[in-house]
Amino acid sequence: MMKNRFLSLITFLLVFLALGPASSWAGEPTQQIKQTTDKILAILSNPSLKGPTKAEERRKVIGQTVDERFDWEEMSRRSLARHWAERTPEEKKEFMGLFRDLLERTYLDKVDDYSGEAVTYEGDTIDGDYASVKVKIVTSKGKEIPVEYRVMKKQTHWLVYDITIEGVSFVNNYRSQFNSVLSKSPYSELVKRLKDKTSFPEKK
Amino acid sequence: MSIRLHGRLSSPPLSTGRKAGHPADLPVTLNGDRENGERVPSMKSVLWVLIGLTLCFAGSAGICEAQALSLLQISESKKPPGLLLDSPKYPSVSSMDLTPMAQLTPVTAETSSSSPPVAGETTDDYEEGIPDPFEPLNRAAFQFNDKLYFWILKPVATVYKAAVPQGLRIWLRNFFYNLEAPIRVANCLLQGKLTGAGNETARFFLNTTLGFFGCVDQAKDKFGIETQDEDLGQTLGFWGMKPVFYLEVPILGPFSFRDGIGFVGDLFLDPRTYIFAGYPVMYVVRPVEIVNKTSLTLGEYEELKNAAIDPYVSARDAYFQYRENKIKQ
Repeated sequence: MMKNRFLSLITFLLVFLALGPASSWAGEPTQQIKQTTDKILAILSNPSLKGPTKAEERRKVIGQTVDERFDWEEMSRRSLARHWAERTPEEKKEFMGLFRDLLERTYLDKVDDYSGEAVTYEGDTIDGDYASVKVKIVTSKGKEIPVEYRVMKKQTHWLVYDITIEGVSFVNNYRSQFNSVLSKSPYSELVKRLKDKTSFPEKK
Repeated sequence: MSIRLHGRLSSPPLSTGRKAGHPADLPVTLNGDRENGERVPSMKSVLWVLIGLTLCFAGSAGICEAQALSLLQISESKKPPGLLLDSPKYPSVSSMDLTPMAQLTPVTAETSSSSPPVAGETTDDYEEGIPDPFEPLNRAAFQFNDKLYFWILKPVATVYKAAVPQGLRIWLRNFFYNLEAPIRVANCLLQGKLTGAGNETARFFLNTTLGFFGCVDQAKDKFGIETQDEDLGQTLGFWGMKPVFYLEVPILGPFSFRDGIGFVGDLFLDPRTYIFAGYPVMYVVRPVEIVNKTSLTLGEYEELKNAAIDPYVSARDAYFQYRENKIKQ
């Protein structure tokens, strides 16, 4: 389904971004996203982190790099929407961790599948403390996939709070799922499901 | 996932290459119902069956309208239906967009309420998504399509992938996409997108000739003419029709009511409806196309499932967002 590559690309994106020539008028948000991407690419090409035996370590370093660019709290807040305000600070913290783990577990090893996809930067639009960075990925199968990062400024950093692939917003997609679960079950059930997802080894 | 899902939804990211979910599913599905294999059913009869099905859906929608409303509301607010019918959130049945084209205002990026500017609260005002009054039925169909994918489609596509080089499979995909050009031209015109219609016409002639019957996208590679992927569902959406409700159809995959109507309408514009009609080859064309398409998107549905807390809701929402986004383009 959806699908659905739209979800699968999250990590790819950060990797591929560095490959495209940044457009000459690329603004600060684009530059910062490209920075993170360059970091991840450097990790991938680092000989001391190559090979399956280093997978765990590589994953950890990439995870840290992604954490610097992603605003997990904002992402969690937007995904839980009105349910966010009902949570205690401890619950919020737990949720952010679980949400992050889910995404990491799902996407980080995709990085290893990288196969030379090309990326072009389509520029960014800035509106106060918010911006959107548009890129296009050309896959090895000749498809163009439009991707949009939504970022917001915290001090001097532009942090990602949503990614939209082919018009499908990541946050919106999770929000509809969380809403659906919470409309039938208590919050504890959602936490349980997230834990189930993140604690079991990945199904292939 | 289901066949169409793979075409239309799973491929949102891939959409530039092809439009999914087209008619040829039908000969395949209906073939089995013919008691007499000697006579090839005409495409006309197939079309009528489809139209009938659509009318059934429409009819049941009408009948279940009140029920649907209350179901919808229960699921969203956990209150008994009696209280909900007065809910200001759903002021009247008509707001369910059962009279969808009341005001013929084209949906564009500027007018669409869901088109997010860069502004901060972009994702906060996201609506609940597509109404899903038939959720239990849809979930059953989703399970069916899930099994269909894992038990039949995926194994077949995996073998096919191993046997046929990727270059060839991409050619085939392009060939079918090129065949659908009349649908795109007509729907560009219906939306007043003259540039799009012109581009699609030019692409069709360039690719059919220089591109070996559409196998190679010369129009884009050599002339830089981009595709404008339009279909009747998008045309209806462009003129203001809402998706109305979600429908997961066994074998065919995800639909909205609107896009189901569009799907049937587009059959009349699809050259395959006429080219292959009356020849036994029509029973081969669609399966080959589906398997070929699936071989190029293997793993995507698995990823969606893997990332989802509720794969059904994730798929439904992705379909909804994907289609709404296409309408804005």
